[in-house]
Amino acid sequence: MDLKNPQPNRETLLEVDHLRKTFGKLEALKNVTFSVNTGSCFGLLGPNGAGKSTTMKILAGILSADSGSARLLGKNVLLDKSVVAKNVGYVPQEITLYEEFTALENLTFFGELYGVKGRELRKRTEKVLEDTGLAERARDKVKTFSGGMKRRINIGCALLHRPRLLILDEPTVGIDPQSRNRIFEMIRKLTEEGVTVIYSTHYMEEVEQLCDEAAIIDHGEVMAHGPLGELLERYGRKAVYLEVTGLKEIPQHPLIKAANREGIGWILESENLPELMQWLLSVASNQRWEVKQLDIVRPSLEQVFLTVTGTALRD
Amino acid sequence: MKTIIKKEIKMMLREKGNLFFLIIMPILFIVMFGSIFGKTGHFSLTIHYIDDDATSMSSAFIHQVDQVKGVKMVHEKASDLPDVIDKIKKGQLSFLLVVNDGFEASLKDGKQAHIKFYQDPAMESEGGTIEAILQSIADDYRKQKIMNTLHALGQSNEAIAKTLEPAVHIKKITPAVESINTITQVVPGMTVMFVFYIMISMTRRFFKEKDSGLLSRCQSTGMKPIEYLIGMWIPYALGVVVQCTALLAFGHFVYHLHLGDLKALCLLILALSLCGSGIGLALSVLVRGENQGMAITQVVALGGAMVGGLWVPSYLLPSLVQKIGHLTPQFWAQKGLQDIFAHGAGVSGIWLSLVILFAFGLAGLFIAVIRLPHFLKSAA
Repeated sequence: MDLKNPQPNRETLLEVDHLRKTFGKLEALKNVTFSVNTGSCFGLLGPNGAGKSTTMKILAGILSADSGSARLLGKNVLLDKSVVAKNVGYVPQEITLYEEFTALENLTFFGELYGVKGRELRKRTEKVLEDTGLAERARDKVKTFSGGMKRRINIGCALLHRPRLLILDEPTVGIDPQSRNRIFEMIRKLTEEGVTVIYSTHYMEEVEQLCDEAAIIDHGEVMAHGPLGELLERYGRKAVYLEVTGLKEIPQHPLIKAANREGIGWILESENLPELMQWLLSVASNQRWEVKQLDIVRPSLEQVFLTVTGTALRD
Repeated sequence: MKTIIKKEIKMMLREKGNLFFLIIMPILFIVMFGSIFGKTGHFSLTIHYIDDDATSMSSAFIHQVDQVKGVKMVHEKASDLPDVIDKIKKGQLSFLLVVNDGFEASLKDGKQAHIKFYQDPAMESEGGTIEAILQSIADDYRKQKIMNTLHALGQSNEAIAKTLEPAVHIKKITPAVESINTITQVVPGMTVMFVFYIMISMTRRFFKEKDSGLLSRCQSTGMKPIEYLIGMWIPYALGVVVQCTALLAFGHFVYHLHLGDLKALCLLILALSLCGSGIGLALSVLVRGENQGMAITQVVALGGAMVGGLWVPSYLLPSLVQKIGHLTPQFWAQKGLQDIFAHGAGVSGIWLSLVILFAFGLAGLFIAVIRLPHFLKSAA
């Protein structure tokens, strides 16, 4: 499978095809193409200014694209805004709540904007308050909430019309780890309930923890995309970490593609890790090395990013 | 749209500053202007005097001047004459009247009596008023002199009265239903002036929604742009209606302002509300930022108040300013209100004001609708 332009292997909810967007002379999106499968948590990973927010705003019906298409449930969202209003919940990066209003008033306001009314709205606001863990603070003004609580209700406001697709633009910016975990729990619960999530972030570890699919976007282009495992497999570094006392230089061997110092040990890259480890252990036995640690290095998204973009993730 | 209206009304009510700027501050201005200009009836011109003659006739003359409404006489010693003249030169005193020695003797002898009147050159117009007063008193003396002469010639009192009867009689008639006074100027003036300050509140709200990202989030819900615009506008139009009602009710209950034809008044308030909030709506989507909006509001509100005759009656302004004033909605609003309050006008009597105010309001709404897509795009 071509990971840069993979073909969907299960039901596709969203297909974004050659999306392009300029702001004056600035080309924010050059060529954004990816697809999102139903029920997945899709990570949109890239540094600030890569084009993540622009992509999300186009998908949320806030911005129009210069060219390309984005099909949600088979309908082009660029032409049919009603499909977005009905099926997409958008949570912007900023906390977009009325601080003078209570949590309940904010939820009611957004619920009504999404077209939910009456008893059904009351039922759904209650559920959202339960899900966000803010039922007891429902009648408190949002301005009295902590940053994490505001973030949770900010997400809750996008759930009242029961969207098929939830777009989250950096929802954990500026909050403590505890609140972040709470948000992660909310997202996991939503995906279990069948909601597809697009999760934008520049934190690699968040994508690794939450997402099953991801796209790496940089300078307005999708550099790679696909299931997380495949991305790591294809672009991740295959290496072992070796820590040995008294070893000044790693002997050359065809199994070792590259050897680099890391801390007090070595990172040895190879295409065949089991064989390399076997060889290292036999050499250690023969040479009487004192092996303190020998581990397979888990491939990371950071490494994937470095491989596909040629640069480290910038702020 | 109903959701936006409900939200915006809640926001208006919870913003404590709105109550102050739209109701309390105008009331303070009405009270302040009312107390400053409401005392014009007791306003007096102070004339310092030196009586060199110091006779019963010179005293009677000074007393006669002192009796004129709006004139206050202050005695100075004859020895202080150089000092008093020096003070007039420096602008520290305005007027000095000197009754020369021999005043009584001259009058008794049928000769011309002399008085001197000094005035600060900066007080030209007030000086003219005093001169007219003095001339009028001098005319009374002349009349008395003629009467004495005619008596001496043996004419009867009736014949003398007929001879001295003025050739032209001026009868003063005030056709207004209610007298035009400070209150009929200040209450509608301040009401109209502060209506236009709604533009600041509107611009601030629009930019707060835009800059916080709330507007773009609302756009993602499928909300129709025109519904957003109208939803944001209606609460402020209602706000102006409440503001005008509160201020005019204050004028009515505290200063006994006669409200005239209530149907005409309601229509004019509605037109004024559409005008102020319509222009506010256009401004909110036209300006680049809150500060620019505030600056333009000050120009529109204060400039319009100045040339539109909200601070002082329009007829007291220079003719060019009056002509410019006719181009402002403030002038037509003030004219309409004064026509209702003081001239007993009904709907037919204020139709031009209504048409002009509605036209300004509709023009504002039209501009806002045209400009809205650009504003929404900049919010995204």
